[in-house]
Amino acid sequence: MKRLLLILTIIGLSYAFAQSKSILSISAGVAIFLLGMLSLEEGFRFFTGGLLDKFLKKFTNNVYKSVIFGAVTTTLMQSSGLVSVIAISFISAGLIGLSQGIGIVLGANIGTTTGAWLIAGFGLKISIATYAMPMLVFGTLFIFQSSRRLKGLGYVLTGLGFSFLGIAYMKEGFEAFKETIDLTQYSIEGFKGILIFTAIGIGATIIMQSSHATLVLILTALAASQITYENAIALTIGANMGTTITAVIGALGASFDGKKLAGAHFIINISTALLVIGFVPFFINMIEFTAPFLGIAHDDYALKLALYHTYFNLLCVAIFAPLVDKMVMLLNYVFVQKKLEASEMDDVMYINDLALDFPDTAQIVLLKETKHLFTNVFEIIAKGLSIYKEDIFSGMEIEDIIKLRHKALHVNMDEFYEKRIKDIYGKIITFTILAQGKFSEDANKKLIPIKNANIRIVEAFKAAKHMQKNMLVYIESDNEFIKNEYNHIRKNLIKQLRNMQLILNTNEEDVAILLLSKLKLDVQKYDIAANKSLDNLIRTNKITYAMATSLMNDTTYAYTIAFELAEVANILFIHEDDDLKEGREALLLNENEVDDMANNPNTRKSA
Amino acid sequence: MSGEKFINKIQELFGIISQNDESKRKAIKELVKKLKKRRITLKNELREESNLIKRETLKDNIKIIKKQIKKGKDILDD
Repeated sequence: MKRLLLILTIIGLSYAFAQSKSILSISAGVAIFLLGMLSLEEGFRFFTGGLLDKFLKKFTNNVYKSVIFGAVTTTLMQSSGLVSVIAISFISAGLIGLSQGIGIVLGANIGTTTGAWLIAGFGLKISIATYAMPMLVFGTLFIFQSSRRLKGLGYVLTGLGFSFLGIAYMKEGFEAFKETIDLTQYSIEGFKGILIFTAIGIGATIIMQSSHATLVLILTALAASQITYENAIALTIGANMGTTITAVIGALGASFDGKKLAGAHFIINISTALLVIGFVPFFINMIEFTAPFLGIAHDDYALKLALYHTYFNLLCVAIFAPLVDKMVMLLNYVFVQKKLEASEMDDVMYINDLALDFPDTAQIVLLKETKHLFTNVFEIIAKGLSIYKEDIFSGMEIEDIIKLRHKALHVNMDEFYEKRIKDIYGKIITFTILAQGKFSEDANKKLIPIKNANIRIVEAFKAAKHMQKNMLVYIESDNEFIKNEYNHIRKNLIKQLRNMQLILNTNEEDVAILLLSKLKLDVQKYDIAANKSLDNLIRTNKITYAMATSLMNDTTYAYTIAFELAEVANILFIHEDDDLKEGREALLLNENEVDDMANNPNTRKSA
Repeated sequence: MSGEKFINKIQELFGIISQNDESKRKAIKELVKKLKKRRITLKNELREESNLIKRETLKDNIKIIKKQIKKGKDILDD
């Protein structure tokens, strides 16, 4: 269907180009302008690795600040699309809340009006193509440089250059068009006209995937007197409605919260547009009344349209900014995330394509997804020990947990792996590889340890799976000695898992730092004590050879689980906050210090 | 805030320089302070604890904290 539409579009356009050079010029202008927008977005992406992300985190702590942020960044970048993508990406990563995201979208709407003012005020009145040429030359020169920032600047300059050139072509096309045909003869007056031209505006924006491009096209057509002022207003309303469809399509690959933001964008623009459609004559009167105060000439309809566009978006903010909290409640009510049943397949919760746009969000999303995988593996490791994860979270003494769970718990670990681990793990690794291919070396340095944490999590799972087979047999064994040894493994791992939970959930940094070193120390101490105990049992013939072999293997597996998960807790905690990372890392005990403590006779007896 | 500090902050914000030594030292100083407080709490708990196993755990924790505080101080003294 999509391909058929494309073929029909190509045939239709080719026919139109053969009929009129003006249509070719206008279409080329739109194409060049869109190319410019793409280049501009690409350019700003080079700067988002630090600057924009930091600003976003710092200046969006309430709705009104978010509105200002959205307006300023859209004014600077002239792309509400990119700002919306950033907002969705940051919401998905949990860096900002939904209400701040809505604030940014509202601000971005205001920001787009500056583009309309610039084009109506300057773009259509001066020979804009003259400025485009040097921008394209210098921009291309910069693109071929190795420095990321220069490359980014290059894309921004070529983006601006192409946008200017596109406007010039559109202007030229409409001017030439005027000499052969008067399009205003197709104008439709009254409410019917408003409805029809609004629909055309929606369609044009969906096709071009950019309300900015539609607006430029409307402004150039209006400046060349090829459409009536009233129809131009209707087209602008359509552009504001059409842009939400683009956002909804864009949000399909986003996380759950990203979809909520696209929903908010849809509600805001569509309801304001529906409200405005009924009051177009009132708005025209208001513009007629206020335009002279702003020095806009009576017949300067392009500037009047820019003024209308500003009123429309200010109205959006005036209506919805005070209602943001209510809207969040509504969206939370409408978009309800399905709770996962134990038997169901689990999938990634945070990873999405949009998170790959910016290094900061990629890192945070990866960290969150790793925690998700850790939680799943944590649950199955607990079951492999014939206990439940709730036992670990409970304040119950470890001895009491062992007494309570003295029966073997038969769970199919392979099935659990297929349903709750395999897919998530695969997607995390794929996401990291894609991110590594996209970002700078510095950003990649932060991603690699998190990727390794995932590999360790799965290693711990594999060890738990191997250990489960004997665990099921020996915790119900008649031989008290082997039973005690396996219960000892269980106790030790419960203690380790409990500490890991504390590390990942505590807000007290010093507690986490202490427990991380303690985890490492306990792993070493347990290994020493377990080997000693095993020697003793073999020497005194208290267990059979088969039992000894199993115990020896399972002690190693238990060590692997404890060691790998301790490393995972370490990585997750250290990388949680980039600003504190180095300080935290510096105070953790290293392998030698842990070995020293573990081999100290005073500490050995406590194992 | 001195001029140099202000410039450092701006450079950090714009991602021109990575987290500098100054902020690393500040983070360590804060952590050492928290660890010292935690050591006092643990020592008090040890005084009141009668269970042998728990006493050993507390002793281990105090030893770890002591090492960590020393590590922190060494970095700060450098």
